[in-house]
Amino acid sequence: MMRTIEILLVIIIITGAFIIASIYAVLPSPRQVSPINLRRLALTTLQTLDVDYDLSETMFKSSDDPAWGQLQIAVSACLPPNIVFNLTVYDVMSGGTQLYTMYKSISNAESLGIESDAASYLVASSNVTFNVTPEKIGEHGGGGTLYILNCSDANGWWITGYTAQKLAEDLYSLLSPYFQVTVMVQNTTQLGQILNGTKISTSPYENVTNAAVVNTCGEAVPIPAGYYATQGSANSYAKYCYILGQRVSQYNWTWVSIVGYPLYYVCNTGLFSNDQNTWGIYGMKCVASAGLNSFLEGLNKESYAYNGNWITAELAGTVHLSSQAQYYCNYYGVYPSPYHTATRALPDSILARYNLVVTSYIFDKVDTWIPGAFYRHVASGAFLALGLTRTPDIRLTALGLLCDYKPRLYRSEYSVAGTSRLVILQLGQVGGA
Amino acid sequence: MAGATIDHLISVTVFLGAILLFISLFNQTIQTAIVYQRHRYLATKCSDLLDNMLLSPGNPLDWGKQNGTPTSFGLQDPEFTQYRLSPFSLMRLNYSEGAPVYYSKTGQWYSNLTMGFGQSLLVPFTEAINYSTAAKLLGINGTYGFSLTITPIITVSISEIQPNPLKLAVNVKGAGFPLANANISYCFITVEATGGEQSYPSYTTDYGTNCTDEQGASVLSFPGFDGTQESYVLIAYAHMSGLVGVGYHEYLRYDENYVVPFISDFATRTVLIAHSWDVHGGDSPAEISYNATFVLLTEDFTLREVPLDNSTGRVGKINYGEGKPYMGITIPTYNPGLLVITYRKSAQESGVVLMPWGISSMGFPVSFGGNSFEMEWVTTDTRQVLVNGIAYQAMLALWSLEGYQVIS
Repeated sequence: MMRTIEILLVIIIITGAFIIASIYAVLPSPRQVSPINLRRLALTTLQTLDVDYDLSETMFKSSDDPAWGQLQIAVSACLPPNIVFNLTVYDVMSGGTQLYTMYKSISNAESLGIESDAASYLVASSNVTFNVTPEKIGEHGGGGTLYILNCSDANGWWITGYTAQKLAEDLYSLLSPYFQVTVMVQNTTQLGQILNGTKISTSPYENVTNAAVVNTCGEAVPIPAGYYATQGSANSYAKYCYILGQRVSQYNWTWVSIVGYPLYYVCNTGLFSNDQNTWGIYGMKCVASAGLNSFLEGLNKESYAYNGNWITAELAGTVHLSSQAQYYCNYYGVYPSPYHTATRALPDSILARYNLVVTSYIFDKVDTWIPGAFYRHVASGAFLALGLTRTPDIRLTALGLLCDYKPRLYRSEYSVAGTSRLVILQLGQVGGA
Repeated sequence: MAGATIDHLISVTVFLGAILLFISLFNQTIQTAIVYQRHRYLATKCSDLLDNMLLSPGNPLDWGKQNGTPTSFGLQDPEFTQYRLSPFSLMRLNYSEGAPVYYSKTGQWYSNLTMGFGQSLLVPFTEAINYSTAAKLLGINGTYGFSLTITPIITVSISEIQPNPLKLAVNVKGAGFPLANANISYCFITVEATGGEQSYPSYTTDYGTNCTDEQGASVLSFPGFDGTQESYVLIAYAHMSGLVGVGYHEYLRYDENYVVPFISDFATRTVLIAHSWDVHGGDSPAEISYNATFVLLTEDFTLREVPLDNSTGRVGKINYGEGKPYMGITIPTYNPGLLVITYRKSAQESGVVLMPWGISSMGFPVSFGGNSFEMEWVTTDTRQVLVNGIAYQAMLALWSLEGYQVIS
């Protein structure tokens, strides 16, 4: 009998445990099990209403303006009937301890039920200008000079539809805010001067060393008369490209090729007035594929050896901007097309062969081919090559340089009083359990 | 001794019975909790998956404007950020509603999104992304099923009040409320079937604006236009505080023979123009002539005509049956718009058909995915999205295809 009593006691204890467990193990209501994501719904509602900045405009209107009534209708209209809302607008303050003060609130229900969620959205006044000040490349020492080849005595090739001068102009407006000084190299004589390490402007910021040099002539490269034309004439001016590579290394330049096969022609309308590039463009001589090989030899400080091998490839389909380049598109507000055709992609074998390191991919690598990238030599000098087909998009050149130099942007504060308002849309669900 | 044994037997029996009972009771509680957790997880997955679809353009970024199958699925417009969807990616979905259409002259089946007579979007199965492909690309094939519906937030319904002179009522509603004081921009296209038997139909376009009253209603009057004598189409855009909706209404004098536009190729923007008898059959087939035009919605909510090149088949004649080829036109742009094709058999027999170029141009709803019928638990989530400036609501329904308590 004693054992039966003990068992009954055990049953009572377990029953008690079960009851206690049942009391505490309360399962949530079905609404909580599978909730609508009210926070996301609120955010997307605010974004929809602000598609043409209508919401931003209304937020800065006086509190008795009819636009608030229209906004209330619009919010009601775009939410499902079982969703109630409360939209509250706060003034953003600066200075004192109170950051936000309520400006206006609109709602379509007395309460938001037992559960609600909210999203916030910051709108800016259209009457305020927000400035963005870029950091100057070289302001903390080391370079900061951008040379743009705008040579009046040199024609371009594979820049179809543009002139080198027009591209230089566009590049100037895109990149000059980011450099300490931007110098337009107006003719091949001035190019010869900077190749000799001589400054060509009166700007105190001009510094030949550590500069970036953008060749806007496409596949052609301007050649100065005199020393460079004489010394560089060997092997149909492949030697000039070699000397150019040496100078890039000597002055730690960044040499930029904007399109096609780099250094495929040399150009100087005075020097080659009777020569044409086999396509009818006078003032130009064909170096062919030896130009790039010689340049890389010079950059790598090798002794000159003629190498006429064709090293680029024509890639099938399109090539896509790398994730890094896409990030900087948004950061700098430069938006070239995200996909292009690469017919002069460089092989990755040049990295080991010439001691180069890719510091920024502009386009994603395709197998062993690099459609566009920023190469730095392990010792000195750099080379930005965009092996795309014509016609060039000069914004890609700007993006390529910005991707690697990464100048910071200092944006003006959005929290200055009167310039911004914070909108909170709180949503609640009515009906049901 | 016997009493102790009996006591022992009874106690052990009662104990075992009680243990079994309690195991069953606790098991029930635990099972309910597990099901709750699975449902909760499903809801979280639904929210994540919806964001994956809406916040990624897929790969390649412009797969909506190409012909191949993407390697990653996403509906975001690659030219924008946040919840803005590509009107062309949405066009390439194999719609779950609407019976597929077979066109014998191309030998292809077409995904069918039809909103009424002469308002359809027919996309070849070979170009459309089907549910199974999308599920594989999203990495949920065999584990979850889904159904994505994208419906316009603003409904613009148009009805005829009186035909002569023509008066049309426009009603603008949101998800549950009328849109009072909304601005309306409209384009009124009339078919002019004048001329001899062999001439092509011409058309006139008339643009205007109006405003809705407190009930979200507006009346558009067209003095001097007899709605019983001529075919016409009204396309109206309603907009207020960032919300934009579109609606349309048409009256046809003749619908025995008409043209049926099929999407042919997204990459080259070609559209086939077929004779209705070859697609839907019917009585009294006859040759008809047509005249196509393309209109697009500008940023100020007005419609602008973009001329089609004559060499691309802007006007033509089309006949039925064997040996009578279909015609083809090329849409001049990738900007979303409307292909308006007027047709006529005689001076008294004319009509007009519309086809959206970009799903948003006519506010077509999209329904894509599987069927959740008989599934144990279906969870949903909602986002507000924009498709070329038109406000839509995207709702994803998600269910599990495996695991506990799933009824197959």
